Amino acid sequence: MLKKTTALAVILLLAGCGKATESKAPGADGAKAAPDEAGRTSGYNPDRNAYFGDLHIHTRSSFDAYIFNVRRTADDAYRFALGETIQHPSGFDMTIAGGPLDFYTVTDHAEYLGILPAMNTPGTKLSELPAAKQMFSADPDVILSSFQKVGTSVREGQPIAEMYDLDTINSVWAENVAAADKYYQPGKFTTFAAYEYTSVRSDIDEEGFGGGNLHRNVFFKGAAPPKAFSTLDSSNPEDLWDWMDEQRANGMEAIAIPHNSNVSNGQMFRLQTYLGEPLDSAYAEQRMRNEPLVEVTQVKGTSETHPDLSPNDEWADFEIYEELLGSYALSAVTGSYVREAYRNGLKLQETEGFDPFHFGLVAASDSHVAGGAYAENDYWSKVGIVDGTPVARGSVPFPGTTSWDEQPDNQIVNNANHWFSRWSASGLTGVWAEENTREAIFDAFRRKETFATTGPRMKVRFFGGFGYSDDMLTSADLAHQAYADGVPMGGDLVGTGDTPAFLVWAQRDPNAGTLQRVQVVKVTSDGEEVIDVACDNGTPDPSTGRCTDNGSSVDMASCTPVNTGANELKAIWRDPAFDASRRATYYVRVLENPSCRWSTWEAMRNGTPPRPDVPQTIQERAYTSPIWYIPGN
Amino acid sequence: MADTSQSTARWRAWLSEPLFHFIIAALAVFIGWNAINGSRSDAERTIRITQTDLERLAALYAAESGALPSQQDMAAMVNDYVRDEALAREARSLGLDDNDTIVTRRLAQKMTFMISDLADDPDPDEKTLRAWHESHPDRFTDPQTLTFTHVYFSEDVRGETAETDAAAALDGLNAGEDWRNAGDPFMLQRSYGDLPIREVARLFGPDFARTLAALPASDSWTGPIRSALGVHLVRVTANVPARLIPFEEVREAVLADWKEETRRQENEEAVRDIIAKYKVEIEGSGSK
Repeated sequence: MLKKTTALAVILLLAGCGKATESKAPGADGAKAAPDEAGRTSGYNPDRNAYFGDLHIHTRSSFDAYIFNVRRTADDAYRFALGETIQHPSGFDMTIAGGPLDFYTVTDHAEYLGILPAMNTPGTKLSELPAAKQMFSADPDVILSSFQKVGTSVREGQPIAEMYDLDTINSVWAENVAAADKYYQPGKFTTFAAYEYTSVRSDIDEEGFGGGNLHRNVFFKGAAPPKAFSTLDSSNPEDLWDWMDEQRANGMEAIAIPHNSNVSNGQMFRLQTYLGEPLDSAYAEQRMRNEPLVEVTQVKGTSETHPDLSPNDEWADFEIYEELLGSYALSAVTGSYVREAYRNGLKLQETEGFDPFHFGLVAASDSHVAGGAYAENDYWSKVGIVDGTPVARGSVPFPGTTSWDEQPDNQIVNNANHWFSRWSASGLTGVWAEENTREAIFDAFRRKETFATTGPRMKVRFFGGFGYSDDMLTSADLAHQAYADGVPMGGDLVGTGDTPAFLVWAQRDPNAGTLQRVQVVKVTSDGEEVIDVACDNGTPDPSTGRCTDNGSSVDMASCTPVNTGANELKAIWRDPAFDASRRATYYVRVLENPSCRWSTWEAMRNGTPPRPDVPQTIQERAYTSPIWYIPGN
Repeated sequence: MADTSQSTARWRAWLSEPLFHFIIAALAVFIGWNAINGSRSDAERTIRITQTDLERLAALYAAESGALPSQQDMAAMVNDYVRDEALAREARSLGLDDNDTIVTRRLAQKMTFMISDLADDPDPDEKTLRAWHESHPDRFTDPQTLTFTHVYFSEDVRGETAETDAAAALDGLNAGEDWRNAGDPFMLQRSYGDLPIREVARLFGPDFARTLAALPASDSWTGPIRSALGVHLVRVTANVPARLIPFEEVREAVLADWKEETRRQENEEAVRDIIAKYKVEIEGSGSK
């Protein structure tokens, strides 16, 4: 099926054109925010600030992005994050919605890193290869089969000897590391040396890149090794962890963040090792040492939970995307979603004494065009010229038609039906850290003091403790008290025999929508529950655990919200079904009032009816990392 | 005063640079190209765009964007076509030729690549850089920053009375009451130092940022002022206007910016020069 996308890419390659982008000199904002005597940058806050960023960005150096006609570099990517305008391969300008980000990370695929650009650069040895002539040939079928060979090689973990030029790969890796260093401004803007490890596991009989996604992004806290471990070294993620353990022993601290478990075909949170062995405590320890976080939402859908797994969660059916990479085949549901993994983690903990799924949550875009599209009303998806237009994304009817009932059966329409119309304008990572430096933000990753949003920069604090009182909600130093007397998101709350209280506190994005409700999701080894804990209008009904309808809606002629919700919501909450003797995992979900989905915005602008088989409105949301209650003694 | 040994060493280093070899090779091609230049016929010097070409361009546009191209779109596409075709013919005239669309584009890319490497200029003098710094103040400016303290009154907690509560608290603050305990808890900070205006807008919304930006620095509290989050009393203790960073502090950034911009301009000029050598005829609309 990748064949179809690529064929489209190739057709569109012919129509692609580019022009130079206006740019501002790096570092022109003046001197870096100098640390004070204590080594702290300006903005330091012992009660921690919320910083927002995208941890998953591709540029021209990724083999697939280059075929999508992406020519923007790591430098361009960081400039985009800093608020500058860069160009999409389809020729339009991209500017980040909501202002600059606090941190940003280029994570190009390590496999064949920079090889395709080199193959397409006259004068390089790689450009003299027969494979290069094929990859950039005049015949779309030849290009396709050449590109498929690369995809198959990445999936199978078998290098194509002539293309596997480690000199080029390592020098482009060094360039990406250098770009991250160049744009890092302590106190203002944080970057990390990072890359994507692109493991795919396929039981389906298709050529190319298709299969169950086991991708991870690998991040270095500071210095990075000269070579990135890729699937061409091993497709087994456990070998990646061994390698990361070695790097750590050599002073190069690293974490890996898996993504798109939703299309892993049940393998991301499978209850077996990669080779099919039973899990054990050594596996759990190594996994948690290397993978303390999971990316829960991005362009290719949201992996929190699935309606089949959470039939009683009215909000479970959110931006569900189920087709395997580069395929129309469906991913298995079991083993693919975060909430179920939390439950299985507790089960394993109770029966075997270890939990391999004790992870926190982040979000990212996975943009392949150097800049993420986070706003529903300004969306450009992620695979360059392949889905660079409303027609390609299936948000407006195919040219020549006006009705959704008479769509032609062609590749563009089919790919839009299966893939691009179901993708999302998501997401961003929120981090609670004292200051905007590599050390502080990486330490927050380790503490799992992170939250994930579907695009807006709503902020959410979440604490659990045994000394919290209801009247602390009015205390001027609420956050300070919460830290002093409890644990923040990502922490373990060890039992005292008493019932803990949780502080949930959400604040809207001042530049986006307002809030409807805040919920606690409780997971135990044998069940789950979603409980509203703070409402835009009044308090939740204790008998149903639900807010009353706040009457929010959207004027579909203009995509304007009809009613406004809350600016901030906060509550002290105690679990009425708390059992001091049982483990429980609690995380927070914040829901905005409804707003138009990107596909509705595009249909409205085009003057055509919105696509009927996707929601017209969505509720943007944030997910916190959990707090794990652990019975004492 | 030239240091001969140093300049010899520099030449040796240059001679071993692959880039240098490439430039020499490219220069040789350029000279060859100039020699051929004089002897080409009018037909070779005419780029004809037929009705069929125009229809093909329009169809490609429609397939990509889902709409028919406007006149402006068509003009842009014709420009690109002419640009690529002119560059490709130049490249073909060097004997690199083959004849189909992808190869045409590749040839144009190759030619552009060659031009851009030839345009690697030496560093400009001090005067040029200073002039660049002066003529592009927006690129070398520190943004306006604010140092302020605020007290938050949440409408979600107080409803309609948030604004009157805030107004009622103003005198107390100005009489020296502790702002740390006034109003409602705020999720982020009550005090910010040297915060760029853009950051104020990100944290509180653009209206609040605009209002604060216009406040003079003072020891007294003012408000109520609305933000996207509720109502605030504010004391702005420093309001530092945007400042053009002195040349000496940003010399390197000015140099990098000058180089990048100059190179881009020279590349564009070189391409324009090549295009200018061709006469363009578009079927149905006369010459361009």
